[in-house]
Amino acid sequence: MKKFWRCFVCNDIHYGVKPPEVCPTCLVKNAYVEISSAEAEKISRITRTTMTRDEFRRAIDKFVEKNEFQVCPDQAKVEMLLDGLIANEQNQGLKYCPCRLATRDFVEDLKLVCPCNFVSHETYKGREDGECWCGLFVRRKK
Amino acid sequence: MSKLIMFHARECPHCKAMIPLVDRLEKEEKIKFERLEVWHDEKNADLMRSYRPDIAPKCGGQLRTPTFFNPESKDAVCGEIPYEKLKDWALKQP
Repeated sequence: MKKFWRCFVCNDIHYGVKPPEVCPTCLVKNAYVEISSAEAEKISRITRTTMTRDEFRRAIDKFVEKNEFQVCPDQAKVEMLLDGLIANEQNQGLKYCPCRLATRDFVEDLKLVCPCNFVSHETYKGREDGECWCGLFVRRKK
Repeated sequence: MSKLIMFHARECPHCKAMIPLVDRLEKEEKIKFERLEVWHDEKNADLMRSYRPDIAPKCGGQLRTPTFFNPESKDAVCGEIPYEKLKDWALKQP
């Protein structure tokens, strides 16, 4: 089961089954202690609580930089999808995929939060023209 | 023919791509789809969720848009599909 962990040196927060051996921020070894989700949420308030559409666009541009996929080159399509993601965050709380409906099972619906784990989906895996379900991310052409 | 539903989402590019095909099918085959938007209409979303046991197994285990659904036969086809595939699906509905 995934838990929250806090670096006792620099307050980095990690969410996972086990903590990193070395804190990626302060590089101290064995620095993580398990904490509650309430504590993690409070610490997370240190940083911004919302992202603008432009900030999210820059985040996904950064996300794809060293990956085998890229943001779809069709700008009109990307703009439409960003409209949907931002609307879903405002209305539903998270950036749910605009092309799949949330079920109301919170844990199940985490699979729909963009970017989702699309590299394992049939629309991407093993396909030269692979893309995520909504088409925001597409495999880079070789 | 029983009532057919197209569950779609306003910001879904696949749905946008399918609209002209649905328009054409309705015109050529005298079929009518009830078009229900699901991300900005909770009533429509709840209706689609109520059909999850029927839709999800046919759509990769999820509630994808667009989904074309027959509430009577519980048959569904989803995604951006060729015109002929949509037509074949619609015409085989009871």
